[in-house]
Amino acid sequence: MASSVSPQQDEVLVEANSFARTLTLNRPKQLNALSFQMISRLLELFLAYEEDPNVKLVIVKGKGRAFCAGGDVAAVVRDIRADCWKAGANFFLKEFTLNYLMATYSKPQVSILNGIVMGGGAGASVHGRFRVATENSVFAMPETALGLFPDVGASYFLSRLPGFFGEYVGLTGSRLDGAEMLACGLATHFVPSAKLPMLEAALCDVDSSDPAIISSIIDQYCEQPSLNEQSVYNRLDVIDRCFSQKTVEEILSALEREVVHRMDGWISATIQTLKKASPTSLKISLRSIRKGRLQGVGPCLVREYRMVCHVMRGEVSKDFFEGCRALLLDKDKNPKWEPSKLELIADGTVDCYFSKVNNEDWEDLKLPTRSKFNLPPFAIAKL
Amino acid sequence: MDRAFQRTKILANHLFQSRPSPPAQTPSLCSNACLNYSPPELSENYAFDIKEMRKLIDGHHVEERDWLFGLMRQSKLFNPRVRGGRVFMSADYNQSMEQQREMTWKRIMYLLERGVFKGWLTEKEEEVEMRRFACFEVLCIFDHSIAIKLGVQFFLWGGAIQFLGTKHHHDKWLRDTENLFFKGCFAMTELGHGSNVRGVETVTTYDSNTGEFVINTPCESAQKYWIGGAAKHATHTIVFSQLNINGTNQGVHAFIAQIRDADGNVCPNIRIADCGHKIGLNGVDNGRIWFDNVRVPRENLLNSVADVSPDGIYLSSINDPDQRFGAFLAPLTAGRVNIALIAVYQSKVGLAIAIRYALTRRAFSLKPNEPEVLLLDYPSHQRRLLPLLAKTYAMSFAGNYLKLLFVRRKSQSNKTIHVVSSSFKATFTWNNMQILQECREACGGQGLKTENRIGHLKGEYDVQSTFEGDNNILMQQVSKALLAEYVAAQKRNKVFKGLGLEHMNKPCPLIPSQLTSTTLRCSQFQMDALRLRERDLLNRFVADVSQCQAKHAFLMSYQLAEDLGKAFSERSIFQTFVEAEATLAAGSLKDVLGMLRSLYALICLEDVAFLRYGYLSMDNAATVRREITKICSELRPHALALVSSFGIPDAFLSPIAFNWIDANSWSSVQH
Repeated sequence: MASSVSPQQDEVLVEANSFARTLTLNRPKQLNALSFQMISRLLELFLAYEEDPNVKLVIVKGKGRAFCAGGDVAAVVRDIRADCWKAGANFFLKEFTLNYLMATYSKPQVSILNGIVMGGGAGASVHGRFRVATENSVFAMPETALGLFPDVGASYFLSRLPGFFGEYVGLTGSRLDGAEMLACGLATHFVPSAKLPMLEAALCDVDSSDPAIISSIIDQYCEQPSLNEQSVYNRLDVIDRCFSQKTVEEILSALEREVVHRMDGWISATIQTLKKASPTSLKISLRSIRKGRLQGVGPCLVREYRMVCHVMRGEVSKDFFEGCRALLLDKDKNPKWEPSKLELIADGTVDCYFSKVNNEDWEDLKLPTRSKFNLPPFAIAKL
Repeated sequence: MDRAFQRTKILANHLFQSRPSPPAQTPSLCSNACLNYSPPELSENYAFDIKEMRKLIDGHHVEERDWLFGLMRQSKLFNPRVRGGRVFMSADYNQSMEQQREMTWKRIMYLLERGVFKGWLTEKEEEVEMRRFACFEVLCIFDHSIAIKLGVQFFLWGGAIQFLGTKHHHDKWLRDTENLFFKGCFAMTELGHGSNVRGVETVTTYDSNTGEFVINTPCESAQKYWIGGAAKHATHTIVFSQLNINGTNQGVHAFIAQIRDADGNVCPNIRIADCGHKIGLNGVDNGRIWFDNVRVPRENLLNSVADVSPDGIYLSSINDPDQRFGAFLAPLTAGRVNIALIAVYQSKVGLAIAIRYALTRRAFSLKPNEPEVLLLDYPSHQRRLLPLLAKTYAMSFAGNYLKLLFVRRKSQSNKTIHVVSSSFKATFTWNNMQILQECREACGGQGLKTENRIGHLKGEYDVQSTFEGDNNILMQQVSKALLAEYVAAQKRNKVFKGLGLEHMNKPCPLIPSQLTSTTLRCSQFQMDALRLRERDLLNRFVADVSQCQAKHAFLMSYQLAEDLGKAFSERSIFQTFVEAEATLAAGSLKDVLGMLRSLYALICLEDVAFLRYGYLSMDNAATVRREITKICSELRPHALALVSSFGIPDAFLSPIAFNWIDANSWSSVQH
């Protein structure tokens, strides 16, 4: 046992510089997709650093062209096939616990998002205090195309984006660049990638946990990027009008009404994307984001854990397995969703995903206690 | 000396906060407990499922409510402000009256675009009426003005057309009222006549040559007063007026009159003035209207009760003028139900804020060098707030009962609806003012800041005891109705049926001479005690009235009438609590509701009537009092869960309900 230190732990590289610790996600071939081992290791490190007075700052970044492309769901599906749905549930239990710890962390986390940030990658960064985007950043929550829903606490952070942008990003899986991430608040800073080495060096010299000090250091390397003229962020008015509607069906018909008024490629593409996504996923995602808007990050993760357990169990719908088959395994990109249409899904079916899982020895997600730490206002505000 | 030492230590901590303090035993003691905000979520546990509790007390349309909260939460129009890292939604009451009115209107337009009012007047199902009530309960949590503007549009103007109009009115007006193309108001009250609607002085005559009604304000006291929407936005109004046909006064009738054109210009022969700045509700444009022989077409008489033929003959299906008049007041019932419901939600806002604050604010140490004590750990603070929490839960169940009674109305249930809605409206709105005042004081100086909501809400909601029926008059009507029930039962030698008075048919309940804790917490005993008071007061009231000269009987028996009205209300409310509790399976939810139910019953038993009329001995009254403090201490651990169950999103509470230290920090001043 003791000798098998390496392969898994190498998936997270640790570098210590005085009061800063730099954690590098190191699975570049898989775009740093989070394995169970990586999550466990991150959790272990974060817990230890919180107790360690010699650590004041945690930097998280990715090796290669991705920060992190998400949770390793292909592995999750494999585990479920080999064992049972609870093996999958266990993955999310660990991951969501890590998300909660990051969201309520007593020390600042700086995530360097120099590349792909998707799904689980967003969960491992957006909850932290500082998120640095670059010209290489690509953000997306693509879960509805996979038969899943935006998890990892996304119902908390998406729902708090301006207007109804969160519904848009969460339902369509639309990709955002660094400038858009900064504009909507998913990123706190934008630093050109060329300046990252200098930024990291400066952060490694920090001897304080004071967010104002850290922020001012990052500010020195910051630039104000301009939004692309075609940016979806310039379409907030349409997004607000349509994605504020009560149901997915009403969102779609609002979009279709917009197209009647004027031909618009972007709106048509948005409609097409929604029509390609799993109808069940769309419905539970919308409900989850709406609920998340009015809840603290803890209750959001507890709810998402219930939801993800229902998805893994596959009793209500097997769309997640179909989505993984079509997009990750067979790669025919032609999932057959069941139910196939929005109108075939009753409210009661959606309700199921939000109820406790009716299974012996299943339990709601137990969040780690945070009362023993002096939480900073940033963390307290999320409770 | 100890205290002085302690103060110096605290000050030293302030000054040297960033440096590690000298070798203290444990570093965590360095920062004084009172200087850190500790979120109650981290220290308090939920012993029951707060989502289930919310479902029970909100009762219906939980998803719809959250959607509406979300719509407001995400719009700049609803004035989001960041305090202590959190967003809070509350109207800006520092704006001028004009600005507040404009903002209220913009918010309504935003909600209209999102389809919030869809079906409110054009669909008739029970579900739509319940959804409408749910939306009002949510909107009033943001701001009273928006709820009242919409209440006027949908309950008063829209309701008058629905209830008092006939098919051609419905076809012509309802759809365009629902989409706010027609902006309506409701001109009933006059300067000289408020509660006494039958005395209004506006006069309408009929001109058979042109087929028009002519509406006139004959004197200054006949000017329409407090008409919500009239000062600025309304295009149309319902006018309540005496109808004079060929010299015969047929009593009060309702007409539709246009008061502004589509561009907002006041119509000819209409004069409008503003009621001016008020102690609250400044987002509502209350106005005064004078009619100078305004001509409206014959079809503008709302003719479900009575009509005038083209050649000027008065026709009515109801011959009795009293009954006819009663029918004209029907639209007020929906509004009255709505006001009662809204009051409950303000109490929830007040208590959620005050209790959350009491779970984070400390004052005084019991011993030197000990951390100060949380406000809610003081028995006195528990005694101030927790009985009000019980009262609010009781009102929630009673409100849900009232809603269902209203939406499932049949012609036989009109009397019950009138009596129950009058009694609940008066009781809830009075309770609400009492609760807000206590909550305000419980928050100390912080309660006075407008951004902390509670103090401001008192001004906003004071009007509730007056509009849609003055509370005192409503309660007199309740007592009168009970008297009528009594007389009817006696005369026809029949049993009591309805209004929950069936207990009058049974033998008088007995109160044990020595009350114990077990007895006091038994719902049967609690019910018996409340029924005993109601029964005895009704008997006394009947005796009192029959002794006096018939004409002035009610005037002289007002004290008994008041006591009886209260006894009826509290017993009715209690009954709904017991019924709600009975629907639950045994478990933690039911246990905590049992405690709340007992607490509610016992604070009712503290009413002076129990001593005045001798239902309780002095010893028993003292036992009741002791038991109340005991239940308060047992409820203390559930306080956070009980206010969290209200389902009010954090953003709709206020900064003192959360990290009030960070919200007031110097860095927040600089932003």
